[in-house]
Amino acid sequence: MDDVLPGHLQELRRGTVVIASLAALRNPGYGYALLQTLGDAGISVDANTLYPLLRRLEEQGLLSADWDTTASRPRKIYRTSDDGRQVLAAMLADLDDLRASLNRLDEETR
Amino acid sequence: MSTLTDRYVHAATRYLSAKRRDDIARELKGSIDDMIASRVDAGEDHQSVERDVLTQMGHPDVLAGQYAERPMHLIGPRFFPTYLRVTATILAIVPALVGVIAALAKVADDASTGSAIGTGIGAAWTVVIQVVFWSTLAFALIDRFGGEDDVPKWSLDRLPEVSTGREVKLVDTVASVSFIGVVVGVLVLQHFRSWVDGPDGEDVPVLNPDLWSFWLPALIAVLLASAAVEVWKYRVGRYSWPVVGGVVLTSVLWLIPFIWLAAEDKLLSREFVDTVGLSSTNLARVNGALIVIAIAIELMTVADAAWKARKSQRAVSA
Repeated sequence: MDDVLPGHLQELRRGTVVIASLAALRNPGYGYALLQTLGDAGISVDANTLYPLLRRLEEQGLLSADWDTTASRPRKIYRTSDDGRQVLAAMLADLDDLRASLNRLDEETR
Repeated sequence: MSTLTDRYVHAATRYLSAKRRDDIARELKGSIDDMIASRVDAGEDHQSVERDVLTQMGHPDVLAGQYAERPMHLIGPRFFPTYLRVTATILAIVPALVGVIAALAKVADDASTGSAIGTGIGAAWTVVIQVVFWSTLAFALIDRFGGEDDVPKWSLDRLPEVSTGREVKLVDTVASVSFIGVVVGVLVLQHFRSWVDGPDGEDVPVLNPDLWSFWLPALIAVLLASAAVEVWKYRVGRYSWPVVGGVVLTSVLWLIPFIWLAAEDKLLSREFVDTVGLSSTNLARVNGALIVIAIAIELMTVADAAWKARKSQRAVSA
């Protein structure tokens, strides 16, 4: 069991990184800060997964981004766009439905 | 000298489109610097932290693939089944065909039978390499540039039949045994009633009459044994591995004497050769062609039996 569980958990969590990023970036932030925010919130994600994901979400219009050149290092600041908020709400609602369905199934078959 | 970080960022972004490259490189470098700085601030050594962080980021080509969103495979799951089926279908037919043709051409060119067979195997192998290369290339291109319409439509009607136990049909067995009977009949009859008439109108046997002392009866006995294998196969009802063993055994027992007789020019009767007017070069060609064809036929017989046995085994265990 120990050798198959990590793979299944990874599958399960894959889509949730998008939800977490869209939610967290309602407060604007840059890549590394988001990595830490997610880690602190208990959602572990690898840097090499998160950075390309942010790009993808930006290109899909779910995040907007601006360069902040006032700090010592120039940073790309992401924030969740209006489209992003709608997608976030839809995904959260879907996750609730899934969780409810799974709960029901679990109760019925226990 | 450029830092490790610079080299890593360059490696991860160099193949991106010019429009995105600079922006992504700038952000990636900033992110990596952030990761390093947070640990250096905690008191770690800059150099070892840099190595550690970059190692954790993984292979730059993998990262580049995620940024580019290009497929990190040659042929994806969408086309892989079609790729396998098409390649296997071509490989089942074309190399053997080309090999036999190349070998026969070599025989016609007066080469020895051994070198003709070598040429045939070489040609078949070359075809295998070519087929695999071109079909892989074609499907890799389709996978990258093909649309949804290029996926072959799937239909229920194309499901294969499930074996219902009896795979060897009576009509096939009857046909095989009858064919063997005809071959035996021809082997015997050619001695008395040939289709070649001698100068005085008498029948000229095609095969060397000296063979009747041992080799022709032996070959006929092997043919009768292979007829027995056909009947046994029908009674078993499917291609079991012992049946395949019987097929292989009778094939080898028939093939080796036949090759030897043809190679030593003991197969055809002298009178026949003289009557037909075969020159010694043409006689060598005929003997070589007989060997190549015999090997090809027996190889196909054995391969067919082994293939069906494998299929049958899968059906039984399914």
